[in-house]
Amino acid sequence: MTQIAAQRYTGTSVKRSEDPRILTGRGRYVDDVKLPGTLHAAFVRSPLAHGRVLAVDAAAARDLPGVVAVFTGAELDAMTVRGPDPLLAFLGFGQKTPPDFSLLATDKVRFVGDPVAVVIAESRYLAEDGCELVDVDYEDLPPVASAATALDPGSPPIFADLNGNIISPRRRSEFGDVAGAFAAADRVAEFHLDVHRHQNVPMEGRGIVVSPDAATGTLTVYSATQSVHITRNGIAACLGIEPTKVRVFAGDIGGSFGLKMGGTREELAVAAAAYSLGRPVKWTEDRSEHLAASGQAREESFDVRAAVSKDGDLLGLDVAMVIDTGAYPVAALFVPPTIQLMLPGPYKLPALGFESTAVTTNKASYISYRGPWASETFVRERVLDLLAKDLGLDPLEIRLRNVAPSTEPPFLMITGRPLIGVTTRESLERVAKMMDFPAFRRRQAAERARGRYLGIGVATFIEAAPGPRMPGAPSSMGKESMRLRLADDGVLTLYTGQMPHGQSHQTTLAQIAADEFGVPFEQVRVVVGDSDVVPPALTGGSRSATMAGGVTLHGARQLKAKVLDFAALLMEASARDLEITDGQVVVRGDPDSAVPVAEVARQAASGTFGAGVDANLEVDASFDGGESGWSGGSHCAIVEVDVETGLVKVERYVAAEDCGELINPAVVEGQIRGGIAQGIGAVLLERSAYDADGNFQSATFMDYLLPTACDIPRIEIEHLQTVPLDADVNFRGVGEGGMIVAPPTLVNAIEDALAPFGVRIYEQHLPPSRILELIAGAGQSGTSGPHPE
Amino acid sequence: MGPVKLPHVEYEAPATVAEAVGLLAEHQDEASVLAGGQSLIPLLALRLARPAVLIDINGLDELSGVSAADGRVVIGAMTREYAAEESETVAAAVPLLAAALPLIGHEAIRSRGTIGGSLAHADPAAELPAVAVALGAEFVVRSQAGERVIPAADWFQGYLATARRPDEILVEVRFPAAAPGTGAAFQEVARRHGDFAMAGVAASLTLSDGSISEARLAFSGVADVPVRAVEAESLLVGEQPSAALFQEAARRATAGIDPPADLHGSSEYRKKIAATLVRRGLQAAADSAQQNSTQQDSAQQDSAHGRP
Amino acid sequence: MTDITVSVNGAAYTRAVEARTTLADFLRDDLDLTGTHVGCEHGVCGACTVIVDGRPARSCLMLAVQAAGHEVTTVEGLAPDGTLGPLQQALADSHGFQCGFCTPGFLMSATAFLGAHPDAGEQEIREALSGNICRCTGYQSIIDGVLLAVQRAKG
Repeated sequence: MTQIAAQRYTGTSVKRSEDPRILTGRGRYVDDVKLPGTLHAAFVRSPLAHGRVLAVDAAAARDLPGVVAVFTGAELDAMTVRGPDPLLAFLGFGQKTPPDFSLLATDKVRFVGDPVAVVIAESRYLAEDGCELVDVDYEDLPPVASAATALDPGSPPIFADLNGNIISPRRRSEFGDVAGAFAAADRVAEFHLDVHRHQNVPMEGRGIVVSPDAATGTLTVYSATQSVHITRNGIAACLGIEPTKVRVFAGDIGGSFGLKMGGTREELAVAAAAYSLGRPVKWTEDRSEHLAASGQAREESFDVRAAVSKDGDLLGLDVAMVIDTGAYPVAALFVPPTIQLMLPGPYKLPALGFESTAVTTNKASYISYRGPWASETFVRERVLDLLAKDLGLDPLEIRLRNVAPSTEPPFLMITGRPLIGVTTRESLERVAKMMDFPAFRRRQAAERARGRYLGIGVATFIEAAPGPRMPGAPSSMGKESMRLRLADDGVLTLYTGQMPHGQSHQTTLAQIAADEFGVPFEQVRVVVGDSDVVPPALTGGSRSATMAGGVTLHGARQLKAKVLDFAALLMEASARDLEITDGQVVVRGDPDSAVPVAEVARQAASGTFGAGVDANLEVDASFDGGESGWSGGSHCAIVEVDVETGLVKVERYVAAEDCGELINPAVVEGQIRGGIAQGIGAVLLERSAYDADGNFQSATFMDYLLPTACDIPRIEIEHLQTVPLDADVNFRGVGEGGMIVAPPTLVNAIEDALAPFGVRIYEQHLPPSRILELIAGAGQSGTSGPHPE
Repeated sequence: MGPVKLPHVEYEAPATVAEAVGLLAEHQDEASVLAGGQSLIPLLALRLARPAVLIDINGLDELSGVSAADGRVVIGAMTREYAAEESETVAAAVPLLAAALPLIGHEAIRSRGTIGGSLAHADPAAELPAVAVALGAEFVVRSQAGERVIPAADWFQGYLATARRPDEILVEVRFPAAAPGTGAAFQEVARRHGDFAMAGVAASLTLSDGSISEARLAFSGVADVPVRAVEAESLLVGEQPSAALFQEAARRATAGIDPPADLHGSSEYRKKIAATLVRRGLQAAADSAQQNSTQQDSAQQDSAHGRP
Repeated sequence: MTDITVSVNGAAYTRAVEARTTLADFLRDDLDLTGTHVGCEHGVCGACTVIVDGRPARSCLMLAVQAAGHEVTTVEGLAPDGTLGPLQQALADSHGFQCGFCTPGFLMSATAFLGAHPDAGEQEIREALSGNICRCTGYQSIIDGVLLAVQRAKG
């Protein structure tokens, strides 16, 4: 069991300390930041998917009253240093690798929305007026609007310094005896699966305010970012100044899901403009440019061969993947290796062949979106259902048959990771119980007789939040630092590089600290979002529960020891006999001895103690993840498909999840439900749409459709809390799992509903028109084949 | 992707209809009339519409209101959609309109959106144009030259185009009051609750001694204007409601349509769901008409027996 | 530029505005009432919802000049002295929100809706709030908060 001193807060749904300001409209988001003399930026953007920029004439824009400056791509390029993407640089990939490109488009535009110039004016209205007056002369180039086109060596190269449009040529890896597995199989099935392009769409877009101080040569930045240090370093590198000259603040952030990774091209351009003008410049991304240009995700296709025994043992998978990274690729390159690693999931799978090819196309850049590698779960969980149908097996049955056993030492995925902390069998059995499969099948049959089509689908996943420590290796999540200080007023203050954007860290970390240190929850303050004051870190990869939770726990323990050593002097007692309870330092067993923590802090700050006394009540803690493991779970959904309109209603959705110990159940459940909602959105509503010429077709919320309160059902969640793995820190992350496993859960259910029509589904986006196509297609050929190109 | 801030525009807020038509006479097609703004303001923000002048008619209180006279319900053009939704007169006398109103967007849209504004904007995917066409509503426009009355069949001329001349303002819309024994339904297929429909059907049936004495049927979203299904209507009149009848009506109603395709649905898909909606709409209208007939019958019986 | 006087949260504000300025931008930029958020500027997401003369309205679809002479309530008007009102308290107790960006719009839509339908049930509430988009929560916690407010108001 964990050894938190007094578990008064941890494990309970403590009310959020964020809420008083959020609920009264006093949150401070980046567009709320107002500095005197602020100018506003708006970008001139390419209407073409692919083109040469022949000339940019900004004269008329510059002449417009209220327009202060226009910077073209070429001008900005001359003012800035081309360097690696700030996120990649932060993660240790410091070299700038091909392709080479400038901050804004200079000689070429490579997707609809590619920024070409920035107009700086007295108001956003005037800046947009100015944008209309910038005259850009383009030469149309043939667009590379699909991965298929990009794979063709004859396709027009998007980047001159790449050999064609293949960014990462196909490379193959094998794990286990792939040839042997396929030779021994009773059945080899082949599928082509597509995951469509969709995107993060937080309710707040990107935004930044950059305020230069000529006197000191410094910049103060207000940003919506998942890491103030990535933003800081990115701006500093871009401007060729020391990072210490840049201070980045982040206040409240309106969601991100991987989008706001600190130093995108537009944000750096605004920084350069502000620096050059010597005046504060603000840019608030509008929804139209957000949808077109902030980045998109998930466009991958898979050719899969599956080797299976007649009883349903999955003997091997051989997967060839193509990822469409769009223009200016960054995050995409991490995705294939992670998919390769994760494909076996929590199953025995003894053999895996994997190859991937990455291409660049004339679409918005592929960025991280909540569980960037999620397609591995989609592919695996779809394939299991398809195989089950071929073999006449129940979807639960085939999964239970293939789940890896709980062994000691832990079962190793064929790709090398040990399955530690994995409770797949238990979660599958739990959702089966929650749903009562036999009762559903009876109901399904009765309804089919009445012409109503209900279906049930199940899927399971694991996520590396943080995942297991490999023997002898440092944690896969590196280290997490935190400074903890008992402030002069007795408030336990945590300085964390975590940058909450909905995750409620200011509540959850305070819960842990309050319990471990011994003060009331209200006596803890969590400081975030100031690059001068918090340790470098980023929020992402579902790391904060373990890494930030862990460093909070250990740091609070270390600080408490320090405080008790000091208090021992004050109270003339032995530190061993002291404890902190409810904000009081007290000699164990002697309640009259109690001294408020605030008094201890005040004494320490008074300077009355000599050099021999450590009165600096502060520690710098770090945590490497401890002994940890996977999070995971199983989800199950019941849907009804109206086969005349193609509309799908999600009737019921249940999840059995295992993230170890919960810090705050309401926060955990909120993360899971939010992720599931995005997964439902992806399947039924959301698509980042380009036509065959690369024209962008979903630039408003009337075309990019987000799920509403009428689209997401009540989601029932049960928590399986595994046997602890670590002596102290057993919180594991849940941020991404919902979004990873909901799409296959839903698609499996839809296919089950349409089973009477012989429908097979090889794609993730199922709007009503597609559902009718699948039914009609199946009717003609017996079963529906893969989605035609 | 482009701007979302409105461009410069001149603004006038006339206090009377006379002033308003004077301004329209002056500015003609350089002016846009601002009613509820729920359709116009996004067009301005996205800079897809660039009028030189906005004529804000929200101050014209005389254009608001619902009244009934001579077998018609007259709705002032500036009557807010929510007000029409709450109107007992509309509920009792124009059930097809009452059925359609809750489907328009969301509460906040209906707070500001107006009956006249929606009909003058003439988005073929909207609900009210289909209702107007099904019922043969009349559109009353006024200019400095006087008033014209334009029947619905002539009002909708193309995508976002009506018979309104640039110097005219829509002042009221007149709907026929439903005969006793009428039931109505508006059914649509939309991606989400409150979205513009991919196709919609306005259906109204009047039953007399168990057979259909009057049938009104129109589509939204299947062409660049609302489409009245005249052949299907003639098929229905004189017949008893039945699933087979409605199936045949659906076939006839959709035989001649060739809906536009867009991101949300192909032409073939829209045609398919249009047929489904006809069947379902007619069934719902028939069910509602049966209920109204029964109530009416029992009311007649009551009065025959001297009961109130 | 036109001079307008608008009543916001019970106080009268007189400013000079361009006709093209939306009510949303006027509230945020001219009156420094930044609680009303801008999420799409084309009338779909509901983040900008305020109450005008007792009815919910998308402030990105109104011009500031149109609000002259009318009563506007924003999220700042729900708790003028900082104490959470009953709806806000219920949403805090239900962990209704996460990033908070959609929150003011939801509060205003729900306030207007419950004002007219104090006894609403779950399905009605979901439909009434379907014009407000949240990307973080999956809606259940928000609906639960609103239902809790309904329950508490019934005593």
